[in-house]
Amino acid sequence: MEILKVENLYKSFVGTEDVVTGVSFQISEGEVVALIGPSGSGKSTLLRCLTLLEKIDSGAIYVAGEPMVTTSPAGQVTYAPEAALRKIRLRLGMVFQNFNLFPHFSVLRNITEAPIHVAGMAPAEAEALAYQLLAKIGLTDKADAYPYQLSGGQCQRVAIARALAMKPDILFFDEPTSALDPELTGEVLKVIRNLAAERMTMMVVTHEMAFAREVADRVIFMDKGKIVEEGSPETLFGAPTNARTRTFLRNYNLNSGS
Amino acid sequence: MSVLEFGTQLLKQVSLLGTGALTTLRIFFLTLLFSLPLGLLIALARMAPQKWLNTPVKLFILIMRGTPLILQLIFFYFAPFYMLPEGLRFTLPRFTAAVLAFSLNYAAYFAEIYRGGIESIPQGQYEAAAVLGFTKSQTFFRIILPQVIKRILPPVSNEVITLVKDTALITVLGISELFRVARNEANRLFSTSPLFIAGLFYLFMNWIVTKVFDAAEKKLSYYR
Repeated sequence: MEILKVENLYKSFVGTEDVVTGVSFQISEGEVVALIGPSGSGKSTLLRCLTLLEKIDSGAIYVAGEPMVTTSPAGQVTYAPEAALRKIRLRLGMVFQNFNLFPHFSVLRNITEAPIHVAGMAPAEAEALAYQLLAKIGLTDKADAYPYQLSGGQCQRVAIARALAMKPDILFFDEPTSALDPELTGEVLKVIRNLAAERMTMMVVTHEMAFAREVADRVIFMDKGKIVEEGSPETLFGAPTNARTRTFLRNYNLNSGS
Repeated sequence: MSVLEFGTQLLKQVSLLGTGALTTLRIFFLTLLFSLPLGLLIALARMAPQKWLNTPVKLFILIMRGTPLILQLIFFYFAPFYMLPEGLRFTLPRFTAAVLAFSLNYAAYFAEIYRGGIESIPQGQYEAAAVLGFTKSQTFFRIILPQVIKRILPPVSNEVITLVKDTALITVLGISELFRVARNEANRLFSTSPLFIAGLFYLFMNWIVTKVFDAAEKKLSYYR
């Protein structure tokens, strides 16, 4: 079943080149999609449109078959009514580059706050769920710690647990390891790898090519706001057909030395 | 003058000034009671994107911060009588006029402190709250405001300390608060000691204010 369907999505801003110019793709349940491309290629903007942080200029987005936003042939963009949007939003989880944990809440409360106050879960139930997730990310002993007491890698793992606590149908990651020291990326990638093994549907914007190759079922390469090439990691990394993809991957290998 | 006489004199002065200090304290607490929440509303209106809302609020803040508080006190007491047409004229009780002027004036200052605090919270906090499904008001009251309060405690304590001392201005309306009582006593006794004692009263009040804010900052120091 397809969880996400994007049709001909356009989004531009005044004064920035990180635009999306006509992007279409689908993500099926249980699929892990890696989104790669140079900075300014529109990857982050695309993710922000999908998670309702930005309003699109035109196109359509469907979540589990329900229209989140559509565009009429005349170019009129219509978002679903607020009540429907709220439901759709609960199906989408997001992990940010800079974690964006709530600094005034303990680790536990960072995870339980939304389940209790947004999803209406009983506090005891939310706590049980939070401990379950903390065990999963290996941070049970940090339940009462505050974000400033954690390393970047630990913060990002908590942010993942916080997103998972809302039981999203699809989880988006916006460069989840880009703000981390190289030696801390491993622990975050491990958590994502475990989620992939559990068939969690995910879309990951990343610069970790080795990781994308290993974990993704499909890789999408974007450049200048468009999808240039997509395919299995073997094809895209092993035998890219597009010249732009080849250049990008070659530069990448030279720069990162991987 | 014997030691005993001096002692009873001093006690008399202190208790007389104490009654003035009570009036000062009433003004102080009523001003905080009204201006702290009002300041938040003004800050939100000031930050609203709608011009019809933020323009008059900006003007209000400009006037309240841009004119002497002592003039505002006089204005709120005298204007309703002298500036209104015959038949609509009225005069507020002195005390009410004083509380009104102080509350509006301090609300304007608090509003700008709130605004600074609210604007200092990173955008990422709003975005994280939005993707988790928090409503706008939940985001503000659960995520943003608690962090704002921690950040604005130092500038707010500055304002509150100033407020303690500013209460002396209401002497222009003839209210028997601490400063007026002290000055009258000083004139009557032909001595500066009542003024000196009044100074100690203000200092003591602000010592308490400082302690309260220190405790509040300490209470909120559990996170960064």
